Amino acid sequence: MIWTCIRIPRPHQQPPEGITAGPVSEDDLLHWEALIQGPEGTPFEGGVFPAELRFPKDYPLAPPTMKFLGEVWHPNVYPSGLVCISILHAPGDDPNHYEHASERWSPIQSVEKILISVMSMLAEPNDESPANVEAAKMWRDRRAEYEDKVRDGVRRMLGL
Amino acid sequence: MASTTEEINVPSLVVILVISGLIIRYFFFSPTAPPPSPQQQQRDALAALRSREAAVQRIQQMFPQAERRTILWDLQRNGGNIAMTTERILAGRMDVPPILFQPPPPPADNNATGGQSTAGAGAQAAAKKDDKLAQPDLITRYNLKDKIAAEAVSEVAVEAEAEAATARSGNGRAPKAWSTNKEERQSLLQRRRDEMILEARRKMEAKIAAEKAAKAEAAGGSGSS
Repeated sequence: MIWTCIRIPRPHQQPPEGITAGPVSEDDLLHWEALIQGPEGTPFEGGVFPAELRFPKDYPLAPPTMKFLGEVWHPNVYPSGLVCISILHAPGDDPNHYEHASERWSPIQSVEKILISVMSMLAEPNDESPANVEAAKMWRDRRAEYEDKVRDGVRRMLGL
Repeated sequence: MASTTEEINVPSLVVILVISGLIIRYFFFSPTAPPPSPQQQQRDALAALRSREAAVQRIQQMFPQAERRTILWDLQRNGGNIAMTTERILAGRMDVPPILFQPPPPPADNNATGGQSTAGAGAQAAAKKDDKLAQPDLITRYNLKDKIAAEAVSEVAVEAEAEAATARSGNGRAPKAWSTNKEERQSLLQRRRDEMILEARRKMEAKIAAEKAAKAEAAGGSGSS
């Protein structure tokens, strides 16, 4: 379910260091590609993760979708790479009022804010309603194994 | 006298003939004027089908348990309104479609990707599928092999390149400024991306080397003691 995703802590007010984002081609501005650096002090540290952002035709009324290209082992990232965070959900998507309206998508949010939120999601997973159940289990019960797997993924991503 | 009336009559007769000819042509042969109309209709129908398919996929992403036929039936009855169908599924008020309602089978290429992508042409979906299967690392993804090789050849070259880059940026072309040129903007972005990946790789390489050295040292230390 779309709305059973995680609540994100307020993004830290910092310049988006370690983020590169822009349209894949200048002819299609609704398809972006972003690179996100793994946050420091986490097993994702040192990694660079490519992701694609797809904006709907009625952006900014509707939120974009974000998908990691390649393998990201994380409780809140679907095995397909789709990112599940509250900022990417329109307020109408949540009939259970599980997520606060302020955490969800609104036209005043920006791409920068999304990417920062995703970065902080990498640092602080939320296993309340995981997108990747296996990863969430591993994160909760076997933290060392989880971190090793993430580090392996980071190195593989860099071709090492 | 008679000849003058005849002379006046001939051109007016011609005019009348031409006008009536045009009128007849307009009334009876107008369907021939827009011959591509059936094609247009077909295209419209195809577009409608595609958008309906996208709507079904969107709803099925939200409600994997909902049946395709039921969704299609509901969409058809409310004119393709996704929000209304969503609400009805949530409220559990979906009607069972009549047996006579047999929707067209889902397109094949969408099945291949497991209905993951809501938007995207077949080619795009196929490309994505390959992407997923191959799981390429960043180096192959952005064609950075050459750059890595060049880097390995000599560190000096890298430094020279960096110097050249700073010199270039110092030449009045500030890298941060918003360029009005499409290609320039794109290449700037690409350069930033490449630099980010290469730097991360360099750091990771150094880290791995340091780890190896530490391990070797520890092994050597335990061996000697």
